[in-house]
Amino acid sequence: MKLTVSQAQLAHGLGVVSRAVSPRSTLPVLNNILIATDEGRLRLSATNLELGITCWIGAQIEEEGSITIPARIFADLVSTLPGDKVSLALTVRTQSLNIRCGTSNFDIKGIDAQEFPPMPIPDLASGVELNVADFKDMIRQVGFAASADEARPVLQGVLMEINENQMSLAATDGFRIAVRNAELSNAIANPVKVIIPARSLGELARIATDGNETVTMVVPQDRGQAIFHMKDAELVTQLIEGNFPDYRAILPRTFKTRTIISTTEFLKACRQAEIIAREGNYVIRLKIQPQEGGPGAVEFTTQSEEMGSGEVVVDANIEGPELLIAFNVRFLSEVLEVIGTPNTILETNANNTPGMLSPVGDESYKHVIMPMHLG
Amino acid sequence: MAGMSWDLMGHDWAVEMLQQHLVSGSLRHAYLFSGPRGVGRRSLALRFAQAINCPQPTAPGIPCGECRVCHQIENMQHADLNILQSEREGDTLKVEQVRELQHMLSLAPYEGGYRIALLLRFEEANDSAQNALLKTLEEPNPRVILLATADDSENLLPTITSRCELLRLRPMALEALALELQSRRQLDPERAQLIAHIAAGRPGYALRLAEDESLMAARSAYLEDCLKLTGFSRLERLVFAESLVKSRERAEAKGELRVELTYWLSFWRDVLLTSLGEAAPLANLDYRREIQRLADLTGSRKAAQIVGALEHSFARLNNANLQVMLDNLLLQWPLIRD
Repeated sequence: MKLTVSQAQLAHGLGVVSRAVSPRSTLPVLNNILIATDEGRLRLSATNLELGITCWIGAQIEEEGSITIPARIFADLVSTLPGDKVSLALTVRTQSLNIRCGTSNFDIKGIDAQEFPPMPIPDLASGVELNVADFKDMIRQVGFAASADEARPVLQGVLMEINENQMSLAATDGFRIAVRNAELSNAIANPVKVIIPARSLGELARIATDGNETVTMVVPQDRGQAIFHMKDAELVTQLIEGNFPDYRAILPRTFKTRTIISTTEFLKACRQAEIIAREGNYVIRLKIQPQEGGPGAVEFTTQSEEMGSGEVVVDANIEGPELLIAFNVRFLSEVLEVIGTPNTILETNANNTPGMLSPVGDESYKHVIMPMHLG
Repeated sequence: MAGMSWDLMGHDWAVEMLQQHLVSGSLRHAYLFSGPRGVGRRSLALRFAQAINCPQPTAPGIPCGECRVCHQIENMQHADLNILQSEREGDTLKVEQVRELQHMLSLAPYEGGYRIALLLRFEEANDSAQNALLKTLEEPNPRVILLATADDSENLLPTITSRCELLRLRPMALEALALELQSRRQLDPERAQLIAHIAAGRPGYALRLAEDESLMAARSAYLEDCLKLTGFSRLERLVFAESLVKSRERAEAKGELRVELTYWLSFWRDVLLTSLGEAAPLANLDYRREIQRLADLTGSRKAAQIVGALEHSFARLNNANLQVMLDNLLLQWPLIRD
């Protein structure tokens, strides 16, 4: 292997893929980044066997080849090189990579590229085209509701379902459920139902920059993987196996009280209340008060034994009976940050049944939260 | 016949059973290989893993041993082989490590075969780590197989053992092992005999001794210590104990002591057997004369006391102050003046 690349592009590429490097793995090769010539470009890949990221950068290739190089060392070194052309040359016999730039000349020992876990090659023709901006939005609205609890692996994932041209993402941690539906521009032949690790989707949102307009998703049959392909980058994620809870059965269908409230005011009230609530167990109480023949108000109260108490009143349009209900204030803030419309609908039944938040005038997003004890 | 095709020493019945499970499509979701250290628990588990995942088996249930997958599994470097073990032999396996494994086991297999968890020396897992694994043992994903090794199923929670297919591996007959060593490693009969005895019929241990000269040299040094100590005064013994422990990291000292005490124990067990006039085979054939002499001088009661004291120390390696423990042990050593 012998080639030259631009230092800036190489440094950028390493930054993209190194998020998938596994720093302490029993497999030494996973500490490394795969560097390979690939049809006129240089391919950089890293994987932790759950998440794999590949990035292609332009290169002038004199000789084909591949090698894996310790990620940290390579990235640290490249970041200190002058912004210039970098020459990479592999000595096959010693499996070491010579890196030359300006007056700097380094040799780094690598591991044979054959040792690197094989990365799948997607059949792009069978893929689904997704709009990057829309898909990132979906991930942002759903991903945070996934569980961080290692003991319940299925809940660490996001359920993705596609039927014809209907697509949905759903995540739950047992206390809340986020669901987002979307319509695809083209219908697909085979329905998709997979659980994707939330962390992988987070990384996808990070590397899918606005320069990419579409991302092609491929879910090969029975391979347990999903591949997201963009022009210069690709992300492969292992799927989580198991049964995702039937969240549709849990979503409440009817509500007694319907509150329409300004998203900004709602969020502001939560942020203020959280200052006190975080000292306790994040409880915020909502007193939903309808008024005959006029708009009502929601009174947000919070108290902590040691820190004191507070209340904020926000005007709201309320239909239905009065209710006092408590929620985890962070759960509310997290939804309100992604709801995306000026007004939010809060629908409730009783103080011991879940409440649902959704954007006004947008049926595609629903977020259900379990209430807390009023205490 | 079937046993030979996995190219292992001994355990033919176990190989046959595992092949049977594989070929008839009745793989269990969890297997427990129990037996003493060096008996070949891990080798058998790895060969089984190869048989399960080899993409080009030479015959049903027989891995080729040549392909990338077979090589990577052999070296414990395969993407779908998730290994769980304590950091060092003798350490504790903690619940966080089990959680990490569970996360990997929830993912689909990387290369599309089976995802195999290899849990080595699982007796080192503390109760909460074992309990954490229960859920996985009860309802693993369909393409997950757990292979655990342990010294004795009695040292695991009964809830773990009852959820695994248990294979108790026993040492080989000494003669059979000696013959295997002669044919596989071209050892001369006398040396093969000696190593088979030292290893007490455990093929894995015997192979390590046959392949690594330094292990045999270290053994001689440890046994020389053991003999030398019988001539030491109390003060000299305490100085000796200090030299083993002082100015070393505890983990390092513990690691070496574990090995040294193992050899001392095998030596004193020989002395005990000899003093009782038992015909049982000795572990240390090359020290036959010294063993006989000590047996005559100390008698079975004293020998039994030392064996007991050594076992007692062994059980306390993890928590005891090593120097106090050694002082205590060595003061019980018989004093023999020539």
